[in-house]
Parts: sequence; structure tokens; C-alpha cells
Amino acid sequence: MNKKLCAQIAFLVFILILWQILYSMHIWPELLFPSVSMIGDAFIRAFTERELGVMILHSLRLLIEGLFIGVVFAFILSSLFAINENLSAIYNMLVCMFDLIPGIALIPVAILWLGIGDEAIIFMVVHSVIWPMSRSIIDGFKAVPKIYTEVGKNMGLYGAKLIFGVYLPASFERLFSGIKVGWARAWRGLISAEMVFGGGSALGIGYYITDRRTNLDISGIFATIIVIILIGIVVEYGIFRVIEKNTVVKWGMVH
Amino acid sequence: MGDGTLSTEPILHIENLHKEYDNPVTLVLNNVSFDLFREDFLCILGPSGCGKSTLIRCIAGFEKYSGTIEVDGKRVESPGSDRTMVFQDFNQLFPWITVINNIAYPLKINGMKDKAERLKKAETYLNKVGLSEYRDYYPHQLSGGMKQRVAIARAMALGSRIILMDEPFAALDAMSRNQMQDELLRIKEGEGMTVLFITHNIQEAITLGNRIMVMGNSGNIIEHMENPIEKPVTPASPGYSELWKHLNRLLRNECQLEKGQ
Repeated sequence: MNKKLCAQIAFLVFILILWQILYSMHIWPELLFPSVSMIGDAFIRAFTERELGVMILHSLRLLIEGLFIGVVFAFILSSLFAINENLSAIYNMLVCMFDLIPGIALIPVAILWLGIGDEAIIFMVVHSVIWPMSRSIIDGFKAVPKIYTEVGKNMGLYGAKLIFGVYLPASFERLFSGIKVGWARAWRGLISAEMVFGGGSALGIGYYITDRRTNLDISGIFATIIVIILIGIVVEYGIFRVIEKNTVVKWGMVH
Repeated sequence: MGDGTLSTEPILHIENLHKEYDNPVTLVLNNVSFDLFREDFLCILGPSGCGKSTLIRCIAGFEKYSGTIEVDGKRVESPGSDRTMVFQDFNQLFPWITVINNIAYPLKINGMKDKAERLKKAETYLNKVGLSEYRDYYPHQLSGGMKQRVAIARAMALGSRIILMDEPFAALDAMSRNQMQDELLRIKEGEGMTVLFITHNIQEAITLGNRIMVMGNSGNIIEHMENPIEKPVTPASPGYSELWKHLNRLLRNECQLEKGQ
């Protein structure tokens, strides 16, 4: 096992021990500061006695749908520069305007326009993905070395073919970091939305954490936070790192 | 060779070519006219900043210009695969595809539908530049000289009417450069390629070109001649030193003129 990983794991173990020591000193009431084993129990119970597993699947399904729609639209709209400069300027302005709106501020709009359902959640996810993703794509396309686009044009690529044949792979590193930012924003947007209105047609992970609060189940709240972190880690190491290794790292574009 | 017996029609016809930059207003190409015939190897020599790169970029279709540039009688309006450019920059291969695919991909774009056929053709040309065993490498795993060879193979495989070379060996060390010159000549003869080659190196121009053109600081042609020295050219070839001195004098005058102004 490599050294960095050992250090990372050792740090986490240290945090757990510190937590347990603080707990055993009884500085705060147990109702607010549970022991490590209580959180562990709540974690297991969330999946066995309660339905957190089903809720996670529901949340992830909405997340993936929203992420997909957001990325595809960001890509198409950011590629407008290849067709018309004015359209592209208008889109740049929209990105600057809408990127500033916090997702949570749009929840009232989502509820009134789309009702309390899956559509509203997906709307929130798309909003949180499309603007940062567009920024990455626009910046990434601008940073594509001129020589690649000239070589592409020289071999007969133009318009959409040039976008897919040259701009997309040449800026893949930035696009991919846009997807990473987008995914993190989407995940946060999704949970906020679910905390406000449950989780669309079915209940989601955001609902679960609110539900635990109303039940004064502090262990359950921490257990849910751990679940959120774990899903993030699985996506980072299980998906993003693997994609990176097989693309930009293999191509020698990052080290 | 462009002796006019077989190929009376030029592949490339340039007449009264002018090019100005706006900011500040500078004349980069001033009344440039010449023809390029089948299997010509025309070397364009010039001090840096004389507009020789601009000239080749105009021919490639990357720059706007006034005057006439025609390939096979058709005016050059945009880049196209009938004129493939080989750049000085080593990073002209696409880093996201392997060496073999860098050669095969332009074939696909230009309508070669059958994948096996594309790969076979790409392999043939990769073999011609002596890099068969690197077919599945990614560009970042190759040296600068190897990358330039792949770029040349890519241009040849595409079967362009003219190969435009913008100082392709200028960033190589002297030994690789000589080796690449020999290889390029060998391939050029074997394939019957038509080449327009930009350089600021007198030795390179004498070694490679069957015609040599010298550009001056004001973007005009100050010399245009047949290369009298028989191939293969070495510094010991008869007439080499006289030609070298002649070209060197022209270039040096240009440099002094510039300093004098």
C-alpha cells in the first residue's frame, strides 16, 4: 500500500479516536454528541430497519438524469461559438447571470412552476450543473492550442466535426474538471432540494436527514452525512480517477 | 522536375500576393509571384520576420490575403487537405490518439470508409518513415524527431497535392536534423511529392531544394533560382561553397539593411 494512502487512513482513524475521547469526557449531552458506535449502529439501522438504501437509489437516479441533461445542454450551448459569435456572446452573459443564483433561491420557482415532484428536483440539479459546466467548456475551448484546430481544419474538419474531432478531446481535461465541479454542485443542490420538499415522487436522502432531525436522532444525522461522504468517495475514486487514468493521463496531457 | 517538358501546368500558382497586418500597419508580403510544378522541392529562405511563415500560412488557407493563390487553378479560400501543412511545433499530432490513428484519422475524414484499408495505408506510410514499431504509442511517448516523422507520414498518407513545411526541423538538434533531411529527400523521390519548404538555414535549403527562393525583409522575393548542385548534396559538392556564399551574402545584406533603418 502506498504511503499517502496510509497517511490518509491514519488521519481518519485519529479523528475517530479523538471523537470517541471527546464523547467519553461527557462535555456535551449524548443527545447532541453521540459515540462512534452509536453512529455506526444508526448507519446499519438506516439500511436494515429504515429505507435509506431505496432513498439513495432514488436520489442517484434523479442526480444522473439531471447531470446528463445539464452536461449535454452545457455542451451544445457552449459550442454555439462555432455557429455564431452573437449567440455565443448572449450565452456567455446568461452563464454569468445564472451561475450567481444559489440553487436554494430557485426552489420557490421550481415548486410553483413544476410542483413538488421529480421534475422540480431535476430542475434544481440541471441548474446547479449547467452553469459551472458551461464555464469549463467555454474556457476549455478557448484554451485549445491553435495548432490543433489548424491541423484539424487542414485535414478537412469544420463546424460540428471540428468540435467533436478536436475541441472536445483537446479540452477534455478542463471539461472533465467541469464535470467534477458540476457533480459536486448537483449533489449538494439535490440534497438541499430534497430537504425542502422531500424528494419528488419518492423520498430521497435529503428527506431522510430532515426526518432524522425531527426525530431528534443525532446519530442518524451523522450516519447520513457519512453516507453522503462515502458516495462522494466512491464517485471520485471509482469513477473519476478511472476515467482520468484512461484518458488525459494516458494521453500525456496531465501527469 | 519543373523543367516544363512534362508538367506545363503549375500545381500552385501565385501572383501579386500582398498581405498587410493592421496593427500597426505593416506590409508582410509584397508582390510575391511564383509557380510550383509537380515534384518540385522549393525551399524558401529568409531572415526571421521576413514573412516566409505568413506566405506558407496564406497558401495553407489560414490567413486572408490579396492577390492570387491557386491550387490546380482553384482559388485558395480556406484550409483543405489538398495542401497539408507540417508545422515546426512538435505538438502537431493529436495527443489523444495513437500514432497509427494520427495517420489514419485524416483518411477517415476524407472519405476512406473501410477501417482496415485506412489502417493498412497508415501502416504503409508509418513504415516509410521507419516507425512501424511505434504504431500503438501515444505522441507524448515519442521524441521530437519521431513526432515530425509521423506528421510527415500523415501528410503523405493523405496524398495532398502539395506538402507545406514550415521549418519542420528547426527545433531539432543538428544530428537529427541531418538525418531527417536525408530521409525526407529519399521519401520525396520515392513518392514524387511536391514540397514547399520554409527554412532560415542555408545548408538545409541547398541540401533539399531543387529550387531556392530568398525573401527579403520587406516581404518581397530577392532571389529565385534553380539549385545547380546535384543530389546528394554535401559541403564537398562542386559549387556548394559558392552557392552558400551567394545566399549568405543576400541574407546578410537583408539583416544589415534592417539594422541600418
